[in-house]
Amino acid sequence: MRNSGPFALWRWERLFGEWQAFGEGFLRTVEVAILALALALILGIIFGLFATSQFKILKAISRIYVEFFQNTPLVIQVFFMYNGLAIAGLRLSVFLIGILGVGIYHGAYVSEVIRAGIGSIPFGQTEAAKAQGFSYTQTMRYVILPQTIKIVLPPLTNQAVNLIKNTSVLAMISGFDLMYMADSWASYSLDYGPSYIVAGALYFILCFPLATWARNYEEKLKSNELYRNQIETVEEALIEQ
Amino acid sequence: MKKATKVLFVLLIVIVLSFSLASCKDKGAGVDAIKDAGVLKVGVKEDVPNFGLRNTDTDVIEGFEVDIAKMIAAEILGDADAIELTPVTAKTRGPLLDNGELDLVIATFTITEERKLTYNFSTPYYTDAVGLMVKKDAGYAGLADMDGAVIGVAQSATSKDAVTAEADKLGISVSFSEYATYPEIKAALDSGRIDAFCVDGSILGGYMDDTTMILPDRFSPQDYGVASKLDNTDLADAVDKMITGWIDDGTMDELIAKWGLSY
Repeated sequence: MRNSGPFALWRWERLFGEWQAFGEGFLRTVEVAILALALALILGIIFGLFATSQFKILKAISRIYVEFFQNTPLVIQVFFMYNGLAIAGLRLSVFLIGILGVGIYHGAYVSEVIRAGIGSIPFGQTEAAKAQGFSYTQTMRYVILPQTIKIVLPPLTNQAVNLIKNTSVLAMISGFDLMYMADSWASYSLDYGPSYIVAGALYFILCFPLATWARNYEEKLKSNELYRNQIETVEEALIEQ
Repeated sequence: MKKATKVLFVLLIVIVLSFSLASCKDKGAGVDAIKDAGVLKVGVKEDVPNFGLRNTDTDVIEGFEVDIAKMIAAEILGDADAIELTPVTAKTRGPLLDNGELDLVIATFTITEERKLTYNFSTPYYTDAVGLMVKKDAGYAGLADMDGAVIGVAQSATSKDAVTAEADKLGISVSFSEYATYPEIKAALDSGRIDAFCVDGSILGGYMDDTTMILPDRFSPQDYGVASKLDNTDLADAVDKMITGWIDDGTMDELIAKWGLSY
């Protein structure tokens, strides 16, 4: 009798005959991840700057944004955008929901990373810039942010990795991403074994190089004492929250 | 870094291979093994009215399929209560059978040629047809009006093929969105994300409300069978004998009447 196990060879063969479906899902996941990451970075920089500004109102706005999106599940946020907003009359496409949902959610985390990064630059630099006649915008633009970016690249890359994985939330709202395609094929053909392993491997291919690069980059930065202290400050600040 | 990559790939291959080998040797539990255990482990639905639905007052799962499970337990173990019911969904029922958590699945499991490659199915104990639920105010009179519509179906359900075939016949095209659970499909119908909720007729009945209606179209009769592991032929034969016996002597019809199933 033919091997009927969930990982039988003929199931793998059948799955590779379906590679287009997985390819489409993979492409959709990559597209959503890139655009959501861009949105998360924009939001993160804006709200990270708000969090470090002298204005109480901006600080408060940033706090509310971060706390709201960090402390509610992404699944509920996306489900709300999909069904809640549609009932209210605003029907966004699932592609857009993927970008907005995942982008806004991770923007909150990026904002915290940026805030911690700016906080790690010694205050003396801001004072020095001010003494030179720099405005707030100029200080940020030419002195603080260029240094911050270097320091926060590793934690930002980790956010990007999490963001890629979190795009799989789209599977729940019929988003035609990689996870949805895997679910669909797994349940249609009952080849759930190969289906989820292939999907997992594809996510791994996206995430592993990023994570490895971030780790190596961080090691390299840490070999410089100045940066090591700043990185540690950032790490401490991120753990505290 | 190169070394790490190599190690990881080797690890991945080992995992995959060990899974494939492990799945060959497990032969599953025959009728004797169930007698030894003293309990029949059955996967049933808990969200399908009249088939398998959890009674929120007593917290017990009741329905047509639960009764079948009890009758099988009575035959094998001499005690209708010697069963352990596990709620399953379309997505979990396969894996739970494969890993030995369940002896049988009696959960509106449609028999298809493709699925017979993976599980043993008994003679069908019930035949149901796929139906469509739509919003009353959408103005649909039948599938023929639904060119371009988006139809919500459950993952792992055969309704997609059934509707596609019917739509082709009518010369219209529809697209599909798949969801993991029935409540999610209903939510998508309520929010206007999909134009129709399409599953087996018996399941649709449980999701009716004032704003929805079920279209008269019925297509692709679906046969429900009791599923067991493919290599556990001992158990499959025993169950099949029971089912055919109950169909012949009218027990099954009585049960169908008892639960008011008429589609």
